[in-house]
Amino acid sequence: MGNSDVELIAHLMRRAGFGATRDQLDSYAAKGYEATVEELLNPVEEQRMGDDLIRRFHPELSGMMGPNASGENWLFRMATTTTPLQEKMSLFWHGIFATGYPKVIHGKALSDQIRMFRQHGMGSFRTLLVELSKDPAMIIWLDNQDNHKGAINENYGRELLELFSMGVGNYTEQDIKECARSFTGWTIANREYMELRSQRDSDWPYGRIAWHFEYHPEDHDDGEKEFLGQRGCFNGEDVIDIICQQQATARFISRHMYSFFVANEPPVPEWPDTPPSDEQAIQQLSQAYVDSGYDITAMLRVLFNADFFKSGSSWYTKVKSPVELVVGVLRLTGEFDRPRREILDRQLQAVYMGQFLNNPPSVEGWHEGTDWLDTGSVVERVNFATQQMGDANKPGVKAMISNVAGNAVGSISPERLVGACLDQMGAMSVSEDSRRVLIDFASMGGDLALGEGNADEQAHRQIAAVLQMVASTQEFQRS
Amino acid sequence: MGRDLNSRDLPDNARGIMTTIETKAGETGARPEFLEYVMTLGMTTMEGRGFYYPVDIAIGQDERLYVVNRSLDIVPRGVRVTMCDIDSEYYGTFGSFGEKDGQFVWPSGGAIDSRGRVYISDEQLHRISVFDHAGAFLSRWGSHGTGEGEFDTPSGIAFDNQDNLFVSDTYNHRIQKFTADGRFLLSFGSQGHGDGELNLPWGVTLDANNNVYVANWGNDCILKFSPQGEYLASYGTSGSGDGEFQRPSSVAVDEAGYIYVADWGNERVQVLDPEGGFVMKLRGQATLSKWAENFLSVNVEEGAARARANLELEIDYSVIHPHEESSHIEKFFWSPVSVKLDRAGTLYVTESNRHRIQVYKRIAS
Repeated sequence: MGNSDVELIAHLMRRAGFGATRDQLDSYAAKGYEATVEELLNPVEEQRMGDDLIRRFHPELSGMMGPNASGENWLFRMATTTTPLQEKMSLFWHGIFATGYPKVIHGKALSDQIRMFRQHGMGSFRTLLVELSKDPAMIIWLDNQDNHKGAINENYGRELLELFSMGVGNYTEQDIKECARSFTGWTIANREYMELRSQRDSDWPYGRIAWHFEYHPEDHDDGEKEFLGQRGCFNGEDVIDIICQQQATARFISRHMYSFFVANEPPVPEWPDTPPSDEQAIQQLSQAYVDSGYDITAMLRVLFNADFFKSGSSWYTKVKSPVELVVGVLRLTGEFDRPRREILDRQLQAVYMGQFLNNPPSVEGWHEGTDWLDTGSVVERVNFATQQMGDANKPGVKAMISNVAGNAVGSISPERLVGACLDQMGAMSVSEDSRRVLIDFASMGGDLALGEGNADEQAHRQIAAVLQMVASTQEFQRS
Repeated sequence: MGRDLNSRDLPDNARGIMTTIETKAGETGARPEFLEYVMTLGMTTMEGRGFYYPVDIAIGQDERLYVVNRSLDIVPRGVRVTMCDIDSEYYGTFGSFGEKDGQFVWPSGGAIDSRGRVYISDEQLHRISVFDHAGAFLSRWGSHGTGEGEFDTPSGIAFDNQDNLFVSDTYNHRIQKFTADGRFLLSFGSQGHGDGELNLPWGVTLDANNNVYVANWGNDCILKFSPQGEYLASYGTSGSGDGEFQRPSSVAVDEAGYIYVADWGNERVQVLDPEGGFVMKLRGQATLSKWAENFLSVNVEEGAARARANLELEIDYSVIHPHEESSHIEKFFWSPVSVKLDRAGTLYVTESNRHRIQVYKRIAS
């Protein structure tokens, strides 16, 4: 694996973002690695396709009555944003706090939850948990509207501890009950009507009405509780304070972060019995969590600057999730220079590969890593990536072809052609096996002859074919 | 001639009419009374009687309403034109999703010529389709490109009183003029942010003297051109104050020259006087349409739950934006995409996100 600054930054951008074009990498490299990390961590002014433009041509991505709209909207954003880590972190939290359409039946409520992740996903974990507990989609998803004083519903209390903060083995069944009691009275406005409309999938008469949080003090159990060894008349925020103080929480979030950005850990249910693959890394991240007062950005700073992240041995080891793959391709092809109907197809492509945004398979989210790769999805993934890269009408592909061809007149050897294509696809470095396959493929067309007119057209087709082949490599399918 | 709404029996749901002035007239110079709410038409349905992401209407000589339904990409059966009238009479639909004659992919604007033929633009197929009064397909024209008579995303369309069609050619940032059978006559406007320049224009309309008004969407203003395309005036600047616009999508001008603007990004409608002075603004006050009442009376449980709900709550918004507010308060305009006037001067505001039309009429002065 290469060690140049550009290749290291390419690794960073694959993990902290969705990959980058060669031009973008050059501009990051000019700033340097640490400065690039800081830029990712402190997004100042996001540039992207504007909501007004999206809504003008896609009214559905404003009204959001169906299951696809929130995902399509998000995909537009991920494909065009200049602050990719913000979106990556939203995706990270979406995978942990997995909330899905089939029960919520409200696209805007789900989209609002992602907006909340965008707003709070890189700040204080405490704030994030408070906002999550007030999030209308989450309330409906885990039935907290049915959690009443004197008649608790434990669903949210249980998942908050098991899946959202500490993990199994760090609390008792009694803690779950006390946690649930603390969140009684946390509900959504007009609960009866809104819930009924969701149950009936009713858009009538005038489309969806957005949801918002409402606290009902008369329905809140204000009695004394004992939670994780502490006593008091706790409300939800008090419970979150206690959760955030736990070492188990620090480790749980650290392990999730390591798994998402560095190397896949086993599924969460195995964590109590399986130690982390890199205990030292988890300790480093946990320490950052504690030292910073639960600040997510402080943890990310430690992570991206750590040797365990930067090490060449971790490059191209993580299978891209379908959304990461699709967004990475879209950012390279530059297809969405304006709103286009194709966004629906791109959304569905990710669905066919196994990831339906805002529609995870369960409250546990998706199984990451090699679980993304079954026979069917591999075919979908390779077909999608190669098909997109082969379309020379797309501005990004056109630019890559033109960069490979350069101003040269004459011929380019298969070896140089492959090298140039790998470079254009994001300063990629590949295994010797992959390189040999690519060179063998490129050799079938002989040396690339760059000349005038028709000869150039032929050459451009040859370049496009090699770009497609790069998209089918194991390395491109991974990050 | 159009109907005189003052002499009509209004539906139950429109009783207790309120004037819709939100500003204090003394502070803004606004006229205290200009328009009043009459009623709401429509309801969301994917097929048949109702609307699905309506983006424009055209009003026939007999006051028949042709409602252009954009639908959503994954539910192509919602793509259609719904025919109805102000009495909520339903006359059927025409058009469907597809690229064949009489079909649409991204239907956008609607207009009607002096012979009652219905014209619909299509932003995806870059063409204009023509139908007769009852919705039978007659012809189509237009193709994708940047040359004369070609389109890149044709959106708003409107006829002058000589039966010439003006087309807002959005991504070419220009207005093109055609005969009613599609012969190119002239083109004007160019891309930019300066005086008289266009940036993704959307709605277009003409006044009694055939001057052309364009909702200059990307530049947050309304432009006025002569019938030959000479730039005459610009109204409004970016903002949310009185007389300011955010992404205006549609404009209508009445016989006296008053200018009605769908101030889409601010989720409101504004009225300007013939010189461009601010007159008033509307935020929306929808009530149940006949079709909506019918639905709720049949779906008793939902109707009862709705009756118990408070749909006008005071909300502590996490995001302060009119779009957000409109998503929560159902009576407010949500994506008021089109403003159209009938011959009596009655105003029809089409809201794509609420799948309905709010109707307002002039208060006699």
